Amino acid sequence: MHSFANQINNLSTRHHRIGGLILAVLLFPGLAQAAGFTVRSVETRMQDEVYLVDTNLQLDFSEEAQKALQSGIPIIILLDIEVEKLRSWWWNKTVATLQQGYLLLYHALTEKYIVNNLNSGAQSDYTSLGATLSAIEKVIGLPLIDSGLLDKEERYRLKLRVHLDIESLPAPMRPLAYVSSDWQLASDWYTWPLQR
Amino acid sequence: MAITALKRFTSGSTPVVLLIALLLASLYLLSGSTQNSVLFDRFYSLLLGINILAILLLFVLIGKNIYSLFRQYRSRATGSRLTTRLVIMFIILSVTPVSVVYYFSLQFLQRGIDSWFDIRVEKALGDAIELSQASLGIRMQELLRETQLMAEKLQASPDELVALALNDQRSLTGAAEMTIFTTAGKIIASSSKDMEKLIPQQLADTTYMSINQGQPDIALAPLSEKALAIRIAVELQAQSPLAEKRILQALFEVPERINILADSVQTAFGDYNELAYLRIPLKYSFILTLSLVLLLSILTAIWAAFYYSHRMMAPITDLVEGTRAVADGDYDKRLPLPGRDELGFLVHSFNEMTDKIARATNTARINRLEAEQQNAYLEVVLAHLNSGVLTFDEQLCLHTTNATAEQILNLKLQAYHGKTIQQMANLNPRLQQISDMIDQHLTNNDHEWREEITLFGETGRQIIMLRGTTLPHTVTLQGGHVVVFDDITNLLQAQRNAAWGEVARRLAHEIKNPLTPIQLSAERLRHKYLQQMDAEDAELLDRSTHTIVQQVETLKQMVKAFSDYARMPKLQLEPLDLNRLIAETRDLYSHDEEQVIIQLSLEENLPLIEADTGRMRQLLHNLIKNALEVVAKKAPLQISLSTRFVEQHGSQYAEVRVIDNGPGIPEDMLGQLFEPYVTSKPKGTGLGLAIVKKIVEEHGGIIHAESLPNSGASIILHLPVLNNPTVRTEQTEPETGTKSDAVA
Repeated sequence: MHSFANQINNLSTRHHRIGGLILAVLLFPGLAQAAGFTVRSVETRMQDEVYLVDTNLQLDFSEEAQKALQSGIPIIILLDIEVEKLRSWWWNKTVATLQQGYLLLYHALTEKYIVNNLNSGAQSDYTSLGATLSAIEKVIGLPLIDSGLLDKEERYRLKLRVHLDIESLPAPMRPLAYVSSDWQLASDWYTWPLQR
Repeated sequence: MAITALKRFTSGSTPVVLLIALLLASLYLLSGSTQNSVLFDRFYSLLLGINILAILLLFVLIGKNIYSLFRQYRSRATGSRLTTRLVIMFIILSVTPVSVVYYFSLQFLQRGIDSWFDIRVEKALGDAIELSQASLGIRMQELLRETQLMAEKLQASPDELVALALNDQRSLTGAAEMTIFTTAGKIIASSSKDMEKLIPQQLADTTYMSINQGQPDIALAPLSEKALAIRIAVELQAQSPLAEKRILQALFEVPERINILADSVQTAFGDYNELAYLRIPLKYSFILTLSLVLLLSILTAIWAAFYYSHRMMAPITDLVEGTRAVADGDYDKRLPLPGRDELGFLVHSFNEMTDKIARATNTARINRLEAEQQNAYLEVVLAHLNSGVLTFDEQLCLHTTNATAEQILNLKLQAYHGKTIQQMANLNPRLQQISDMIDQHLTNNDHEWREEITLFGETGRQIIMLRGTTLPHTVTLQGGHVVVFDDITNLLQAQRNAAWGEVARRLAHEIKNPLTPIQLSAERLRHKYLQQMDAEDAELLDRSTHTIVQQVETLKQMVKAFSDYARMPKLQLEPLDLNRLIAETRDLYSHDEEQVIIQLSLEENLPLIEADTGRMRQLLHNLIKNALEVVAKKAPLQISLSTRFVEQHGSQYAEVRVIDNGPGIPEDMLGQLFEPYVTSKPKGTGLGLAIVKKIVEEHGGIIHAESLPNSGASIILHLPVLNNPTVRTEQTEPETGTKSDAVA
């Protein structure tokens, strides 16, 4: 990589330099893939009068975030879910909010990534970051709301997003995290009609 | 309302206090962040936001101040220059030391944070981790052997009994938890030391891979936050080829002492790594906080510089504006007292000064008003005086005059104000006589004098009585002289007329009575003795009595003339066309055309006059007769009669001019020409012109005589016309033409 960059720098003209850059992007597609969080799919189902959510997320850490995690910085990933009542002539009303938190931590002595579910307190450990993130990416059967709390006449929808909690980072990192794209890891709101 | 509230807020001292509080909070935050305090960790972002907002607010405030100062500077507003200087001075004074401190603080910060990190400490911590792993590794090998032994024992147990066997083995080995899984991860049997734990530890992701490769999986796993566990998974060999493979996972607790040590090593290593990672963000964060503090300090200082410059300048600006107001004559300006310091004293003194000036000017104004009132009063008095008044100042320049003076002198005196007496005489030769006399008395310093003077002008002889007084030299009066004069011509004339009237009456009365007996006696004498006397005596008697009778007759005529003069009948005024009357009168003399040539030069548009026709006729006869008598010896006699409309000094009158070609009027007679018995003529009563003058004066006119340069005399009379504006506008001014005709 380094030598390749040097080669690029050795090219004298500007056009060649740009061409080289395009070549580099083609050769290393992994570099072009931006880090970020995405909500891939959301599904709801009803079980025993309780709505459950299944969601499939994609969590790609930036290099900076990976480096911070491996240096022992605890990172919290939050999954925000909101249930909204749809209204024609007014803003939608939020009837329920649910936040699911995951604390990621690297344990140096055991060389393991620990995931702590902040809601249930369950802890599991993984040898690689990929395995760790995969474990979080699949959320199955998350209880959302009791169907009795919803009006049968109204229409509801689900909003969901996943993001890295910058406020939980150590204070010195926050100012930079707020302005750096390396730390702006958040998905857009994903909306899904609540299936009856 | 919101804007005024904001203005009050930004102009008061509240923002200063608020900003200083923010500054202190920011400083506290810096120290809190350095100590990594939990309290500030939570509010870090909020405080950061508040500080950035404060800085933005300060920027806006300062920008506003700079803009307004710039505008004031451009428009050269009062005090803007001094304010600018003060602000710049304050800024330099505050920014310089803070910037120096900032620079060195940055240096110190960089080096200070770098000094936390030492490569030897890092290596030692890494080594400690390795040592811990190695020491646990030995234990793990032992436990692996134990677990493999257990696995061999458990392989033999049938499925129904495996749970019991598992529990036995666990108790035997002292494992914390033992679980048998299928390769799919399904739990076959489980035994735990902790009875409350319902769900056994799941198989880790790496376990499957190791087992599949025929290797046991040994791992250190964090059970909870502080507790470590050794996790060992081995394959349970199937008893029959058809039976599926099983996995045995055993969890062994690490001894308490080792656990504590390992945790200590892990915590230290973790903290050190975290800190090493945070080195750059920490630096940034500290620099950011320091910069924020610096910016807040500087901006607050700048703002304070503006604020206090304005506050300091306010009384000075007030003073400058106050001084300007006083210079412009506004003495009512009072400045607000800024405080009890020297500026306050200055402003107080200024207020006192303007107060005094205001009072002084007010007094001066009142004095001036009084003086003006007195002047006005004096002017009114002067205007209503029947005497002419002239005052002269010490330099003998004309100072005050009144309307009567103008009337008597027949001059507009406004032009002569400020001129000396001699300058006045130079401007108008008519004033020469008066000027000489006044000058003489003034230069002689006569305190009181009176003198009579006779002037000759267009309107004839004028006798003026002058009285002069030197004014006293007092505080209010600068001295000078006052001359009061009266036109006593008419008075003297009236006196003289009255005297003549009395003489005439007496003459008529005293002389007329004896005349008839004298005449009768003379006739009787003649009648009785003429026939008795001889021829010689008779002739003497005849001549003597004839003379007596004739002279008595003459005396009678004279007495009659006196009587006429003494008591003329009352005027019967009516509109009269003067031209027609003149033409009629001329016709009466047309019979002796050979001796007399009467030329007429009459102005066509002459307005009517209001006069008694009989008197006017008598007047014309007298004038013509007078001319005839003057030139009796000479032949041919030429008389020129002309009329003219004259508009002069705002009055309109008809002018009648009678010019003869006689010997003229002797210089010494010119003054008394119109008095009775003043005559140079060989015949006549000597009352002709006196009667003419009397008639003219009865009609409100004036008469005077002029001696012509070559020969002949001219008698000019002015008679007021009837007020008839239409005639006045139509009239023309054929003065030169008529005059030349008349003279020719």
